[in-house]
Amino acid sequence: MTLRQTAVNCPPLIIPCSRFTTESNKTGSWRFLRPRYENKTAPCSSACPAGEDIPRIEMLVAQGLFKEAWETVLMENPFPGVCGRVCYHPCEQVCNRREFDEPVAIRTVERFLADTATRNGLQPDIKRLNAKQQKIAIVGSGPSGLALAYFLARLGYESEIFEAMPEPGGVLRWGLPTYRLPVAILKADIARILELGVHIHCNKTITPRFLDEVTGHYDAVFLGCGHSHSLPLKIPGEDLDGVEDGLRFLQKLRQGKEVVLNGTAAVIGGGNTAIDVARSAARLGAKPLVIYRRRQQDMPAFDDEVTMALEEGAEIWELRTPVKIAAVEKDYVLTLQQMEVIGEDARGRARIRVQLNKTEEISVQHLFVAIGASSAEQWYKPPPKKSSTMRLSNCSILPRSQGPTVVFGGDLVADIKSVVHAIASGKQAAMALDNLFQNGFDAIRAGIEPNLVGDGPSLSMENYLGWPRTQSSRSVVHHEDLNTDYFRFAPRIIQPRLLREERLRSFAEIDLKIGTILGIREAERCFNCGICNQCDNCRLFCPEIAVVRDDTTQNRRINYDYCKGCGLCVVECPRSAMTLEEECLCNRY
Amino acid sequence: MQQVLEGSHAVSEAVRLARVQVISAYPITPQTHIMERLSEYCADGNMGARFLRVESEHSALAALIGASTSGVRTFTATSSQGLALMHELLHWASGARLPIVMAEVNRAMAPGWNIWADQTDSLAQRDTGWIQLYCEEGQEVLDTTIQSYRLAESVNLPVMVILDAFFLSHTFEPVDVPEQESVDRFLPPYQPKFQLDPENPCAFNQLAPPDVYMEMRYNIQSAMDYALDRFEEVEEEYFSIFGRRYQAVEPVQCEDAEIILVTSGTVTSTSRQVLADLRARGEKVGLLKVKLFRPFPVSLIRRLVSPASKVAVIDRNFSFGASGIFAQEVRAALCNLPGHPPVFGYVAGLGGRDVTTAIIEDIYWRTKNAGIPEQESFWVGISEVSHAIGHC
Repeated sequence: MTLRQTAVNCPPLIIPCSRFTTESNKTGSWRFLRPRYENKTAPCSSACPAGEDIPRIEMLVAQGLFKEAWETVLMENPFPGVCGRVCYHPCEQVCNRREFDEPVAIRTVERFLADTATRNGLQPDIKRLNAKQQKIAIVGSGPSGLALAYFLARLGYESEIFEAMPEPGGVLRWGLPTYRLPVAILKADIARILELGVHIHCNKTITPRFLDEVTGHYDAVFLGCGHSHSLPLKIPGEDLDGVEDGLRFLQKLRQGKEVVLNGTAAVIGGGNTAIDVARSAARLGAKPLVIYRRRQQDMPAFDDEVTMALEEGAEIWELRTPVKIAAVEKDYVLTLQQMEVIGEDARGRARIRVQLNKTEEISVQHLFVAIGASSAEQWYKPPPKKSSTMRLSNCSILPRSQGPTVVFGGDLVADIKSVVHAIASGKQAAMALDNLFQNGFDAIRAGIEPNLVGDGPSLSMENYLGWPRTQSSRSVVHHEDLNTDYFRFAPRIIQPRLLREERLRSFAEIDLKIGTILGIREAERCFNCGICNQCDNCRLFCPEIAVVRDDTTQNRRINYDYCKGCGLCVVECPRSAMTLEEECLCNRY
Repeated sequence: MQQVLEGSHAVSEAVRLARVQVISAYPITPQTHIMERLSEYCADGNMGARFLRVESEHSALAALIGASTSGVRTFTATSSQGLALMHELLHWASGARLPIVMAEVNRAMAPGWNIWADQTDSLAQRDTGWIQLYCEEGQEVLDTTIQSYRLAESVNLPVMVILDAFFLSHTFEPVDVPEQESVDRFLPPYQPKFQLDPENPCAFNQLAPPDVYMEMRYNIQSAMDYALDRFEEVEEEYFSIFGRRYQAVEPVQCEDAEIILVTSGTVTSTSRQVLADLRARGEKVGLLKVKLFRPFPVSLIRRLVSPASKVAVIDRNFSFGASGIFAQEVRAALCNLPGHPPVFGYVAGLGGRDVTTAIIEDIYWRTKNAGIPEQESFWVGISEVSHAIGHC
């Protein structure tokens, strides 16, 4: 140290001043806490049955890297066009932004990416592993079967799909009305899967003998035939002419048959099919009346769909169940039994019972039944639990001493029957089969488990393939882990939609495209929970200048010679992409 | 140009004219008007300063310490609890020899909460190495603030310009606001004697072991001594341009006075009236206004009060367990002077209580009628309190 002396009109000025470097003082030796970069798992990713890397997708969109963002979706989900429209977005339910203002419109951004890819004719770079010997037969070209074919192709396996209908898509093609999912969108997502070399045999109905016929040709058979058989009401009059099955009705519409309705169209049921039927009926000229035995809030149909049905003129009669149907001239007289609520179950759904002697009659012009569905054939169903079947979260695997292994997937095994769960089923089946073929039946669970996203049960294919996401930790970022001082309130995008009057005129898609600026603005709302987006706070706040820029993927590293372990970087990281741990003494001595 | 200005805005105008480059402060009554006006100037482009908003007075002064070390002219303002919160950084600013200027509006310390005039807040910081200048009226506030930059930058010590809450900070008076050109002539751009420079890196104020620390402290005291002379020179130069001067200690009719009243701040103005009244009645009374409190002008005070037979010091402040603080300082200044006059200490006007002409005259008569001081401090106007708790 030197004493600096300056004399300008006053006594010499004495202050401590040093020009020696302070680098000899290795302040890292003071450290008992150790910060490190650690990408973590966002709650949305963990809640997404397809395990999409949502914070990264949003970050890439915010940076204008649309192709990379789209490919990040495709890494885990072959159906961005479909899911960007019809997914029930469980991701948004757990978005940390919900506790700040409103959740990010994740589904809207996904659709924006699919639309952008289509508009610009983008071709994804889909990395594939080397070809393997085994071949897989897939029964049913619904979302689970197609997803399986897609993921198998990426893992190097050849597969063939057998489809009973004349076109692929399953429930997406025949069960969803076009105002929710235009056929061109579905075809674009399917075409990308077929480009990987997947072969589809349409108009090919499978019989129980199929499993024996294919022995020797295929190493495994995946049954993803879905629930195409509507459940009966089991009441008198159900078989009357013109009492229609809701699923068949929707299928008829998707086949292009012209239907005109008038008067009141009653729909029995409270699921998505019932709502789809009601909204379709409204477009065909009828006044829809949905009859449900529990309360409106207990309906399994997605809230958005119910809300829009009400907007479009549907009426909901809750706590009523039909007990008799009679034909009177051209109309149907429906006898309804009133129900009453006697409590709630663990999930908050009403427990109900019959209200004695309380019935009413109503006369309707059309009657649709949509109270649920099951598999069309008994043998599609997985064997009971006690058998040798391996029951995974989204598929069941039945090893057979002779003939190919059978995997049951999609709606056949799903607790929640949704498109994205079907995709999850296909992905899990692909991982299971790969493990089966490479390491044997007993290795399946252990081979899949490390690829759980966060606390599961979603799986990451990127992780399975050993690509960068492997470096993220599975611990889930909660709202209190974030430093929300760095975020500004910003309203969630309002999805532009056709006006009510316009909707009722045709089956045109209701949700409209959004422009690039709106897409980026919505993606910018994302906190990017758990992933570094290079905000550089750690470096700016480090009092020891111990965060150094370099050319690693992180773009910076901590110089532990000088890091005192004060933890400022971790506190100032807005998105919990850093972790502070107790220093292991063995690191120092 | 003559303007009718609030005392607070006299400070703001002076800061604008001084071309201060970095301002940082945290709002506190009664300082707020100073900063409001300055923030408007910065926002409207009438000043080129960076205005740093911070979360506390501690941070405000810390920010200025950084700014000043990088070689720019800086300003802050505070009051009472805010000043107390700055305490450790007050020491730092002077020890680091940074010419920061602060307006400090004298306000009583809590509890009980009191936003009114009282000098205890600034006098409690008398040992922090800051030059302290107590002002009497709006014009003096403006002139002193401008002068403070010359003084601070030439001796490398920070300066507090001190004004009474409300009696001065919120009172409108005619103030002559000088032209920018003239101020520029008096106060050229700041030329730092040392500064942080990325081209020539160094560290300031690191460890100072026992073999140098004492020299550093002696060096600060030398600068304080030098500031006494320097203050007069700065006033002289200011006078030559603007025609106004205040003096470190201003004697009023002290030459033939038998009793000299010693005052500071706005009490001085009231005392001037009392002085005129008593003189008209033939009383031989004088008045000594102390403006420069740190460094304390010991020899001046000795010379000016020694001819009198009694000295009466009026303190709007108190050091608990001792006495009024100006009285302490005056006693200390005189004690080594053989045959010095006795010093009568009076405490008045704490927490914004009015110090009226009647009170000052009472102080005069009490002093005149007493032989020697019977106590260190006489509290003027104390009323009987009948309830131990819950009075007020």
